[in-house]
Amino acid sequence: MDRPTIIAPLLILALAGAPVSASAQTAQALDALTRPTAQPATGMDLARRQIAEGQLTQALATLERVILTHPNADEARLLHAGLLCRLDDRPGSVVEFDRLRGRDFPPELWREATEPCQAPRTGD
Amino acid sequence: MTPRRTNRPLTLACLTGSLFLSLAGAAVAAAPSKVVGTVAAVVNDVQIRLVGAVRPRPAAVRQRLALGEQVQTGRGSSMQAMLLDRSAFTVGPNSRLTIDRFVYDPAGSSMSASLAKGAMRFMSSGRKGAGERSISTPVASLGIRGTIVDAVVGEEAIAIARGERGLGANVGGDPTSASLIVLRGPGPRARGDVDPGAVSVEAAGRTVELERPMQAAYVPQAGAAPIGPFAISLPGLARINDLILPPTESRTSDAGPDPYLQRGDNRPRLRPVLPGELPQDGGRPDFVNPGDVPIFTPRESDYPDQGPPPPGNPGAGSAPPPNNPGAGSPGSNYPGGAP
Repeated sequence: MDRPTIIAPLLILALAGAPVSASAQTAQALDALTRPTAQPATGMDLARRQIAEGQLTQALATLERVILTHPNADEARLLHAGLLCRLDDRPGSVVEFDRLRGRDFPPELWREATEPCQAPRTGD
Repeated sequence: MTPRRTNRPLTLACLTGSLFLSLAGAAVAAAPSKVVGTVAAVVNDVQIRLVGAVRPRPAAVRQRLALGEQVQTGRGSSMQAMLLDRSAFTVGPNSRLTIDRFVYDPAGSSMSASLAKGAMRFMSSGRKGAGERSISTPVASLGIRGTIVDAVVGEEAIAIARGERGLGANVGGDPTSASLIVLRGPGPRARGDVDPGAVSVEAAGRTVELERPMQAAYVPQAGAAPIGPFAISLPGLARINDLILPPTESRTSDAGPDPYLQRGDNRPRLRPVLPGELPQDGGRPDFVNPGDVPIFTPRESDYPDQGPPPPGNPGAGSAPPPNNPGAGSPGSNYPGGAP
């Protein structure tokens, strides 16, 4: 068999396989984001890292995964409420803070969650 | 007799090529459909119907999600799907969602999805202008520009709409297709690596632009133009939240009655003081228990950006709903206008 006879089919196979490999790698990266949210504490740590990197919508999705699977994870809900302030969704944060009324949170967590809401609301 | 002329190298090449092509074709046929993301969270009964399959199968966390697969959540069930570009859908109970098109591009993916029923929140990962993203409901098409958007389809959309003063208690809708869309953010004062979001809601040849958080549009049925934009009320927002994320079960008895749980009546009752309204000296808020958010009666001035619905809104300007005795009274900050 001459060289073109072999190369052409191999090229076809390579082209067919390449996109699958790329998406598989990306999907594996999603798995790495999914695993920490199995537990509220590790999920909140991931969300904090994403917030620190400015990835606010990804942090929101992370906290929602935690809340979906752990509806009573009030500390994750508190962080979620504060994150809505960062996203300038103040009415959304109002609703969520209101739902958490009467809970007792560690002061440092409360400060972390409410700090983004401290920005002036008008004239800024 | 003429001897047969053969070209053995050419024949061999064709046969080899055919064999490779057959193998490649078989590999492609056996491979699953194009992967667009993964199932990131599953609560209770979530089913995925594969393309071409008759029956759905139970979904599992980290299961790959392929183009065209239909995600369906049952009663009391919810899920989150994360796409390859890290956009995410949080899907509430009794919902049906399909990713119809997805082109992954790290610089800005393109995506279209359809919500046939139920409730969902879409959180876009990309910045405004990066790739085309659209979501369709049975009666509306949403063009999404770097945003977080909530959508409700069906009876719940009608129920929430009826509680909105911007629409009126008499607003109707098709219980299988009525669609309520709310822009959640990011707003213009958002921090972080995000742009302000926006959504175009198109139906029956008319487009309504949602450009500020809490702006909403309602499409009652097929052939109807979108009503809006109007500002969703806090109780309406709370009801949408409850459709997408499960309410907490650990509410303490001393927290008092949930101000948002009275269905069919979106009147504001009590509103918590925003933490931003508390002393801004950087210290701890002056109430003792951090979770004990003080409450006060809302005022209209709290929502300077969200006045009453514009004229020409078919649902606006109608008589206050009979179950809304506070309608028309001054001094309220009901985001849908002064009730």
